[in-house]
Amino acid sequence: MMKAINKIRSSKALVMIVWVLGILVIWEIFAFVVVATKRTPENVLPHIWQIIGSFFDPKPVANGMSCTQIVLVNAGQTLSRAGQGFLIGTIVGFLLAILMKLSRIVEKIAAPYLMLIQLIPILGMAPIILAMTHDIGSSRIIIAAILTFYPVATNTLAGLNSVEKAKYELLYSYAAKKTTIYFKMLIPSCIPYFFTGLKIAAPMAITASILVDTLQGDGGLGCMLSQSLKHAMSIYVFWDIVVFSAVIGVLSCSLMGWIENLISPLKRVERKAKKKEAS
Amino acid sequence: MSETNAYNPKKNIEIAINNVSVVFKDNKGNDVKALDNVDFDIHKGEFISLLGPSGCGKTTLLRTIADLLEPTSGNVRVSGMTPKEIRLMQKFGIVFQSPVLFEWRTVKKNIELPLEIMGYSKKDSSDRADEMLEIVGLTKFANHYPQQLSGGMQQRVGIARAFGIRPEILLMDEPFSALDEFTKEKLHLDLLRIWEKTNKTIVFVTHNIQEAVFLSNRICVLSPPPGRLSAVVDVDLPYPRTTDMRDTPHFGELVSKVRNSFEGGSL
Ligand SMILES: Nc1ncnc2c1ncn2[C@@H]1O[C@H](COP(=O)(O)OP(=O)(O)O)[C@@H](O)[C@H]1O
Ligand SMILES: [Mg+2]
Repeated sequence: MMKAINKIRSSKALVMIVWVLGILVIWEIFAFVVVATKRTPENVLPHIWQIIGSFFDPKPVANGMSCTQIVLVNAGQTLSRAGQGFLIGTIVGFLLAILMKLSRIVEKIAAPYLMLIQLIPILGMAPIILAMTHDIGSSRIIIAAILTFYPVATNTLAGLNSVEKAKYELLYSYAAKKTTIYFKMLIPSCIPYFFTGLKIAAPMAITASILVDTLQGDGGLGCMLSQSLKHAMSIYVFWDIVVFSAVIGVLSCSLMGWIENLISPLKRVERKAKKKEAS
Repeated sequence: MSETNAYNPKKNIEIAINNVSVVFKDNKGNDVKALDNVDFDIHKGEFISLLGPSGCGKTTLLRTIADLLEPTSGNVRVSGMTPKEIRLMQKFGIVFQSPVLFEWRTVKKNIELPLEIMGYSKKDSSDRADEMLEIVGLTKFANHYPQQLSGGMQQRVGIARAFGIRPEILLMDEPFSALDEFTKEKLHLDLLRIWEKTNKTIVFVTHNIQEAVFLSNRICVLSPPPGRLSAVVDVDLPYPRTTDMRDTPHFGELVSKVRNSFEGGSL
């Protein structure tokens, strides 16, 4: 039994390794092909080791800053706006889900808007929002907030609606008040769903913030990204930002998982049980 | 204990079921009669079973007592009041077929839930939960989460939670039907032990004749279709009941008597 479980677990790790290796191999094949054709002044698809190397290369590539310096300086701007937007979107999304659960009327009014948000390419709205606010910082926050809001609201609402009838009947039999029903049953039940929403939203907020950057030349990761692509600075800036954003995106998602473990003792128990099984 | 719990027709009537009929609409809009003029009384402190094959209206009847369902005609009175009044006075305890535990609460916190809702102090609900954990033999598992327990243990938590509020009336809907025979027989003894200690009224729904005979003072036999009360059978086995009573000839006679009381003779 233990052996079988361990086998499955190790095979999972194996799949992961094969998968990562596969990507690296395909990347390198293309990198070699691009190097061989060499149509552009600079290699647009560098080798993996060259990208990794560029992070540690102290040679200035623009404005007297190295690749890594450029990434970090601009990341501050972009990520802090993404973070603020994420926070606002989380609060609004959660509250809206509660309101929709509390009131049929709110739900009826809000549901079509939620559908609409899903249909409209929000990033297409970015230039409009920028034109309205005249401020790239606020635009980043607004777009990140809108993108966060949707998964948080829908997942939380799904969580609120997932509570089985018997639990309601149990609380009904105790003559529980509505606030009790919310605080002791509905809100605790929707927490795992809420965090699913956060895990989806966090990388999206970051991506959105980066893409909003590209609209203006005032700095931020996206701005550097497009300049680098237009060969205004080293192509390694582009790749370093891509790698950096990917890592931050994954980290933002695991950060949400970490917070969930922190606030929900149940998660800790489940994790412990899994560990026990494995050992 | 045997004297106090033995059936005595002069006992106080606690729950009066007065000509209760319940008609549901099925999804085609046709009437489905679930209960047809059911009329009997449940006495204070007795262990009564509602017995019948599935679909005969046992759950429906229990729900009309619990104020989870209005009868289409007739009414239920509990100590002379409506079920709703009794529910608002927090005098019902309910145990469902599934344990209905709150996954994010520990075993102990699950038992404390109704006590919290009823406004007990932290200390009082903690003490009461400890006492209940002791009674159902789960003290060691107080800080476990429900999903770490077996099905039988989970059901015991549900029973501890229901008894923890010291309800006047305990309503149980096939609480053991999902459990294996060994666990079930053990829980039968646990349940009787708690009941004999507290002397509260228990209305116990089951489709298992042996279970009904082993546990009850009286058995209400419901027959399909539609749900009619076909007999009320007294069980004159003394309390405290023991597992070896199941093998006595008298137990077998009672089982046959109940079986023959179903409408249309034997099933
Ligand atoms: N909410 C409902 N809507 C329609 N029909 C129902 C509903 N609840 C129960 N019934 C029907 O009423 C009858 C009795 O059901 P129930 O009381 O659950 O039986 P039991 O608990 O004895 O198995 C069944 O025919 C069932 O299909
Ligand atoms: Mg039933």
